[in-house]
Amino acid sequence: MQVTEDLVRQVILDVLGAMGGDAKPANGVKPADAAPLNFRELGTAKTGTDRNEVVVGVPPAFGVAMTSTIIGIPHSDVLKEVFAGIEEEGLKPRLVRVVRSADVGAIAHDAAVLSGSGIGIGILCRGTSVIHQRDLQILQNLELFPQSPLVDRSVFRAIGRNAARYAKGEQPDPVPTRNDPMARPRYQGLAALLHNKETQHVKLGAPAVELAL
Amino acid sequence: MAKRQKRFEVLAERPINKDGFIKEWVDVGLVAMESPNDPKPSIKIENGIVVELDGKRRDDFDMIDFSIADYCIDKRVAEEAMAIDSLKFARMLVDINVPRKELVRLSVGMTPAKLVAVLRELNVVELMMAMQKMRSRKPPMNQAHVTNVKDCAPLLAADAAEAGYRGFAEIETTVGIARYAPMNALALLVGGQVGRPGTLSQCAVEEAAELNMGMRGFTAYAETVSVYGTEQVFIDGDDTPWSKFFLASAYASRGLKMRYTSGTGSEVLMGYAERKSMLYLEIRCIMVTKGAGVQGLQNGSISCIGVPGAVPAGIRAVLAENLATVLLDLEVASGNDQTFTHSIERNTARMLMQFLPGTDFIFSGYAAEPNYDNMFAGSTHDVDDYDDYLVLQRDLQVDGGLKPVTEEGVIAVRNKAARALQAVFEELGLPTITDDEVERATYAHGSKDMGDRNVNEDLRAIDDFMKRGSTGLDVVRALAKRGFPDVAASVLEMQKAKVAGDYLQTSAVFDENFNVISAINHPNDYEGPGTGYRLSGERWEMLKNIPRAIDASQI
Amino acid sequence: MADVMNDISPDVIEAAVKRVLSTLNGGNGGSSAAYAAPSSSGKLDAKTDYPLAKKRPDLVKSATGLPIDEITVDKVVAGKLAFDDIRIRPETLEYQAQIAESGGRPHVSSNLRRAAELTRIPDTRVLEMYVALRPYRSTKAELMAMADELENKYQAKICAKFVREAAQVYEKRGRLKEA
Repeated sequence: MQVTEDLVRQVILDVLGAMGGDAKPANGVKPADAAPLNFRELGTAKTGTDRNEVVVGVPPAFGVAMTSTIIGIPHSDVLKEVFAGIEEEGLKPRLVRVVRSADVGAIAHDAAVLSGSGIGIGILCRGTSVIHQRDLQILQNLELFPQSPLVDRSVFRAIGRNAARYAKGEQPDPVPTRNDPMARPRYQGLAALLHNKETQHVKLGAPAVELAL
Repeated sequence: MAKRQKRFEVLAERPINKDGFIKEWVDVGLVAMESPNDPKPSIKIENGIVVELDGKRRDDFDMIDFSIADYCIDKRVAEEAMAIDSLKFARMLVDINVPRKELVRLSVGMTPAKLVAVLRELNVVELMMAMQKMRSRKPPMNQAHVTNVKDCAPLLAADAAEAGYRGFAEIETTVGIARYAPMNALALLVGGQVGRPGTLSQCAVEEAAELNMGMRGFTAYAETVSVYGTEQVFIDGDDTPWSKFFLASAYASRGLKMRYTSGTGSEVLMGYAERKSMLYLEIRCIMVTKGAGVQGLQNGSISCIGVPGAVPAGIRAVLAENLATVLLDLEVASGNDQTFTHSIERNTARMLMQFLPGTDFIFSGYAAEPNYDNMFAGSTHDVDDYDDYLVLQRDLQVDGGLKPVTEEGVIAVRNKAARALQAVFEELGLPTITDDEVERATYAHGSKDMGDRNVNEDLRAIDDFMKRGSTGLDVVRALAKRGFPDVAASVLEMQKAKVAGDYLQTSAVFDENFNVISAINHPNDYEGPGTGYRLSGERWEMLKNIPRAIDASQI
Repeated sequence: MADVMNDISPDVIEAAVKRVLSTLNGGNGGSSAAYAAPSSSGKLDAKTDYPLAKKRPDLVKSATGLPIDEITVDKVVAGKLAFDDIRIRPETLEYQAQIAESGGRPHVSSNLRRAAELTRIPDTRVLEMYVALRPYRSTKAELMAMADELENKYQAKICAKFVREAAQVYEKRGRLKEA
């Protein structure tokens, strides 16, 4: 909760900055709450041939311009959990940055197409996630986690684990669905702000980039 | 502040202060009705072709401009309509002496910016007056969401039955897990016909999957066919106006009713609002819908309501978009279907905007389950609000589409629906619904009262069921064989509705005898006091008589 | 399904024959003039003919030519009806288009006339065509070939023109699949 309020303040400040205003909030504001990730860029991402890999796709702002989810989980922890989930099942994670879109369905589908196993995961900065499969339509999915405020560390790990099981040809029990009818009133305006920050980094038509941590 | 003022401390704890509010941010389109970046109205027509639209030349048109210019706008009335002063047209909308028909005729001659200019002149009361006059179907109606967090089929069937029984004309499901879709659709098809024959049902999932279920006869209509106001967001929605037009024709070619979905806030939420106001972009969606020849539209921000809800005049913009829909002579399912506030006061005030004038579907999804089970992430009103809603109808003598019911009646239809689905599952080789599940579904408040089904077994069975090519006829056969002849007959009537195509017309629904009620045979004839839909006679007697009202003759 | 397959009745065969004939007839016609309705203007009217199921049951037949009154639960249980017996036929969509038109809704009519053409195309192909029209799915040549298929194989002239137009717009807006 504490972290979330900080995030809100940070975003409001950014917005005020973008509007050219000089208003200052009454309370002291802390800087960004998580450190940026040190990604190494390894060039254009290629389609994998290893059937034991699951590709994780993230948008351009992930871990760089933005560093934590809507409920304040640092992006480094997000990747740690998802990778751990994949590795628990004996498979290998591969990370790509999808540059052409900030839409979670498109990111996850691009990841699936690049994945040697045909299974990909897409994760937005705010935490919205999808497990996708190569031969599905972009807006279909294997599992969808649309309510970012409900995607916590345990869900990220379960996403990694289930994606790996799909990659092995198994039929895992889907991660139990969560629903909070009051997430929208509290978070949606903020989600719109965050998403607009995110899309400012998109380059239409640009290829995905291979990343290493 | 070291020391808090006590009233402010109390206020800070009020539900309203859990809501998110944001200031207008014009540069990304976080603004409701008026952005300095919105274009000025203009049109130029040469040789019957629109060569300029709202200041943009045809060479610069994006896909949405093309579809509006070439498919929506009536070139024969455009110059006449555009010449009318916006304020004058706004006044015509609330003038009882100007008939609906004349306004509809002129509406298709206007550009998006012109319609926005007109709508900006109306306050919320005037918007409601215009809605009362412009709605295309005479009697207002309502739609329910039927979902649960476990995708539990017997509970879906029971909830669908109760929803139909309480008077919802349409019921809509969606899924927690995408692959459950056909089973959820089946539960609503059977449950809906138990609750009230003629209830239309749908299952909102990915476009191609949704069409497939309709083609097989598991759903009667479709609604979540989304259109957007900027080209980039349309593309991110994995469609173009051309693919969506084709999809609309595909639905009609199988005799299936459908409407599109759009709403203020979707473009900015998806990050590409092109700095335009939410209402301007939504008007473009409505005009794309009109151009497609689709009979109706679900709008009123819908799943994006948190966005207009967070900015000034956002809820006014939502009513304005509903009005623009009916002004263009489309059926409107007018929102109120997604939580947007923690405050009960704010929630009711937002709902009254559509409830008071009446719309084709006041809610495009009243939660016919507790909100924790509403898989559209919560509706504004749920099962716990039924009695409040019935009293609002009674207090104000307004028909909100629901009727008072008895507990015995609800128990009976819930039980029958769960048993009917149990029989269908057994006949069609789907995983067993146990007697215990039937009993629980009958008396449940929500999915917390249900056990867990074997999800993987359900999903595998659904895949097989779809691969076998099962159709609505298999459901009819199963019901008839297993002692549900009346339900079998109703499910077959729903299939026959697709043969006749009467319910493809604007604003069509069925009564319990499968008589179609649409804008064609029940057109809205409001022309001021004493005209139009009046809650009176038998219907008023029914809605008055809530069970708890004390009867003097019984004392 | 298996028990249905085991006892194929003469009715099912008859229905199948009707279905084939109806497809052939549809193939020869295609324009609205082919469906002359028996009112004075030659067109149905919203006021007198709607709803069709109640006011003009004589006109309402399924895709296989089965009158709507002959679609009964008994026949379903007896396995005498195939799914095509509960499909809408193009004539009915043309009638509904005329009703929409006479009620002042020409946009709705246009959609219903495109739909009438699509009734001749199998479900799976319709779904494929829809997906092919989604962004970045098709090259211009693929869309033009699809338009030819619509026109030549299914006599879907309006839809063919519509798909050719899509190909032009997609090219202009950069939404085609890279060749």
